Amino acid sequence: MRLFSRLFVAASVLAVAGIGSSCNFNPVHRAGVNNLGPERDDLYPVESEFHRPGEPCALCHSKDGPADSEFVLAGTIFWWDDPGDQQNRSYNDRVDQAYVRVLDANKTKKCFVTNCNGNFFVRPEQFPRITFPLLISVERTKAPGKDDVNQVAYRRMTGHIGREPSCAICHIQGIRDFGSPDQIRLFDTEAAFKAANIKTAECPPPPDFIPETQCPEDK
Amino acid sequence: MRDALRYAFAAGIMATAVGSMSSCSSVPDSGRYTVVLQPDFNVYKTNVDNYLRRRCGTLDCHGQPGRALRLYGREGFRLYNEDAGLISGFQPTTPEETLANFQAIVTLEPEEMSRLMATQGDDPNILLFLRKPLKLERHKGGPAMALDDPGYRCVVAWLRVPVIRFVPNPDNPDEKVPEPIPPKDRVGLTLRQAQDCAEAEQFP
Repeated sequence: MRLFSRLFVAASVLAVAGIGSSCNFNPVHRAGVNNLGPERDDLYPVESEFHRPGEPCALCHSKDGPADSEFVLAGTIFWWDDPGDQQNRSYNDRVDQAYVRVLDANKTKKCFVTNCNGNFFVRPEQFPRITFPLLISVERTKAPGKDDVNQVAYRRMTGHIGREPSCAICHIQGIRDFGSPDQIRLFDTEAAFKAANIKTAECPPPPDFIPETQCPEDK
Repeated sequence: MRDALRYAFAAGIMATAVGSMSSCSSVPDSGRYTVVLQPDFNVYKTNVDNYLRRRCGTLDCHGQPGRALRLYGREGFRLYNEDAGLISGFQPTTPEETLANFQAIVTLEPEEMSRLMATQGDDPNILLFLRKPLKLERHKGGPAMALDDPGYRCVVAWLRVPVIRFVPNPDNPDEKVPEPIPPKDRVGLTLRQAQDCAEAEQFP
């Protein structure tokens, strides 16, 4: 009888601990994650490296979860200002194979390359001891990996990143006003982008396509 | 009979207490206010605002509406003005934004700021505004200043610009009383201090 009651107590403790570990008790974080809404399988392969472009990546990819992997910096680069809402987004306005260069407070320089949906992400092991504030620039060359001399577009942040690992927290998609400088984009208008006559990437890429994954300086 | 007397006595005490409380509270005086001694605005505008905006005012730090120390400017959050059409990162910082930043700093801890100004900025580290970036208290953004960096020296120099002077009391010449120094009579930063501010503005 005594053994039974001890087992009961142990089971109760385990049950409470289990609930604690599986639930997110931070209401602010939970509300932020819930506000992102569901994944869009008609726009991108869900829960892949191409998913949720323009959304605050490190909200889920953080110690609080719910994503398994953690990012210390992540975002999406767009070709031009895309005021489209969730229903009217195309694949063709994200910058593939752009070089995102990061300079941290320790003067460590690292460069990362966007995938076909414009997403780039930095895992902790890719940038150990990353120290904010950060300075960021984005460059897209004519033919990444083949022609890195001819620059198609280059943008540099006027300020720095103080402590936020998700670009989209400040660069809110489709909002260009007193509280947001809009999404990160290499051209200000669609007309300017069209005039540059740039071939956009297919995403997900075709099986025979080998994307550039390293910046010129890392080769 | 005895219980009834006890209840009556207790009720009397209660009534007396309530009556004395209501008679002690004065009518609010709408014309009465406490003067907050403020640091010099002109020095702030010329030398300090550029640094603080660049160092602390990004959208992910103090350029946010939810912050008590809310900093506006070109580098981050814009002071809402429907007609101006201000966009973060574009148009230059406006005079209204500079004034709002100054007010945010002063009103963060008005009593402490007054005490500090009354002592001519003797110990500026009593301000939360400096305790946080120095990491003397928890700061979500980590250490943002150090005792030997030009930004800190610039801010301290500004806080030490004398804004009051002590003059003889007309009623009692042996006693000295504080008197605000008019802004035009204040002594600004030294060349070296201004250089610190100019260096700090280069951040990052």
